Amino acid sequence: MYKEPAKPHTLSNFTTSLDKLRSSVLRMSSLAHLNLKNSIKGLMERDDDWCNNCIADDEEIDLLEMQIDHEGIEVMSRFHPFASDLREVISSIKIGANIERVADQAVNIARRARKLNEQPKLTELHLLDNPIRLSLEMFADAVRAFAERNAELAVELKSRDKELDLLNKELTDTLINRMQDDSPNLPSYLNLIFISRCLERIGDHACNIAEDVVFAVNAEDIRHPGKV
Amino acid sequence: MPYEEHAAIPLEASERPLELTDDFTPGESNFIKVDNFKFFYGKKEALHGINLEIPSRKVTAFIGPSGCGKSTLLRNFNRMNELIPGVHHEGDITIHGTSIYDPSVEIIALRRRIGMVFQKSNPFPMSIYENIVYPLRIAGQNTRSVLDETVERCLRSAALWEEAKDRLNDSALGLSGGQMQRLCIARAVASRPEILLMDEPCSALDPIATAKVEELIIELKKDFTIVIVTHNMQQASRVSELTAFFYLGNLIEFDNTRKIFTNPSMKQTEEYITGRFG
Repeated sequence: MYKEPAKPHTLSNFTTSLDKLRSSVLRMSSLAHLNLKNSIKGLMERDDDWCNNCIADDEEIDLLEMQIDHEGIEVMSRFHPFASDLREVISSIKIGANIERVADQAVNIARRARKLNEQPKLTELHLLDNPIRLSLEMFADAVRAFAERNAELAVELKSRDKELDLLNKELTDTLINRMQDDSPNLPSYLNLIFISRCLERIGDHACNIAEDVVFAVNAEDIRHPGKV
Repeated sequence: MPYEEHAAIPLEASERPLELTDDFTPGESNFIKVDNFKFFYGKKEALHGINLEIPSRKVTAFIGPSGCGKSTLLRNFNRMNELIPGVHHEGDITIHGTSIYDPSVEIIALRRRIGMVFQKSNPFPMSIYENIVYPLRIAGQNTRSVLDETVERCLRSAALWEEAKDRLNDSALGLSGGQMQRLCIARAVASRPEILLMDEPCSALDPIATAKVEELIIELKKDFTIVIVTHNMQQASRVSELTAFFYLGNLIEFDNTRKIFTNPSMKQTEEYITGRFG
C-alpha cells in the first residue's frame, strides 16, 4: 500500500532537508544495487572487469554513507524533528549503514569471483542461481518499501529471508559433499560457499532495512518479536 | 577499570537497560479532574467540553497553537479567569474529588493550594526575603524563625539559595531574568501548595536560565503536581510525563509524553508537533 508523503512543513527548509536525506538514501541504494549486479555478472560471466568495477565503485557508497549520517545529524540539530519525521531520520541513518554493508558483501562476492575466474569453471556455479535471484529481489524490495513507505511489503520480506537461509544451508551441505569427491577444486568450492554466505547476509541486511521501514512508517518495532 | 571488573558490578536500578514500556498512562490516578468543562468569554465558547485527568506529582504539559485554550484551562484551575468580567463556565473541575466551584470553597484558600508562575517574572518591588515571605505574612505568619526557615527552604528548592543567600535584603528587581523567575517559583512554593501552574515560564529566558528552571521543575515534581503550558515542544518533551494537545478549544489528544512525541494517535497532533500546521 503506497502512503502519500506527509504535507510540507511550515518551514520549507525542513522539508528540503528531509527530501535531501531521502534522496541520498535512494541514490546510495541504487548504486549498491548496481554494484551487486556487477559482482554477480563478474561471477556468472567469469569477467574480472565487472568485478573490478564493483570494487572500485564501493568508495562512492562509503562516502554516501557518511553523507547520510551528516545530513541526518543536520536535520536533527537544526529542526529537532518529532514523531514521523524523527522516525524517518533515524531509519534513514540506519538504512544507510545497512546499504553500505550490502555493498561490502558485493565487494566480497567480486573478490571471490576473481579467484574463481582463475580456476576452471565449476558446473556447481549454477547452484547459486536461486540464492542470487532471491537476495537481489529482497534487496530491491526492501529499497522499494522505503521509497514507497510500504510497511506491508517490508513485513513480507521476513518470510523470504527464511527461504534464503535454507537455500544457503542446503547449498553449503551439497558443496561440502562435493569437496570430498573433488578435492583438487576444494578452494573453488570454498569460494562458492563464501559467496553463498554473502548472499545470505544480503538477505539479512534487506530484512534490517525492512524493519527500519516498518518503524518509520508504523512506529512499530518488529525486530525481536516476543522479546519486548 | 578493566571490563571484567566493570561487568561484575551489579547494575543499579537507574542504570539498567531502558524498559520499553511507557512510564505512565493517563487515568492511572487522577488528582485534578476536568469533567466536560466548557468556558465562555461572554458568548464566545473558548473551551468545548474538556475531559482530562491529571495525576498527582507528575509534570503535565499543555501544548497547542496560540488561542487553543490551554492557558484558559490552566487559569481555571485556580479560578483566576473569574477576575475577567463576563466569563462563565459549564461542567466541573475537581481536585482530590472536591469541586473547585463548591460553595464551601474559598477562592483565597484555593489559590493558596495552587501556586502559579507566569510567562513574565513578576517579583514584588521589595527585597528577595520579603518577596518569599509575602504569602506567609498575608496569612498572618510573622514569627521570624518560621520566616527564615521558609526563605531558606524555598530558595533552596528553587535552586537560588547559593546565589541569593548573601543578598537577601537586596531588591528582587536587581536579579537577572532567570533568577527573578526562579524567585517567583520560590515565592509560589512558599505557602506549600499542592499544585504548581506554570504558564510559559521560560519563554523570556535564555537557554542557561531555561535549563535551570527545567531542572527545577523536574526536582519540584517530587513534592508538587505541576501543569505547564509551553510553546517549546522540546521543553515539553524534556520535562513532562504527560502531554495534552489542544486545538481550537478542544482537547485533541492526551497521552504519555513519549507517545505524543514519537507516535501520536491523532493526525492533528502529528501535524502540529512536526511543524506541518496551518
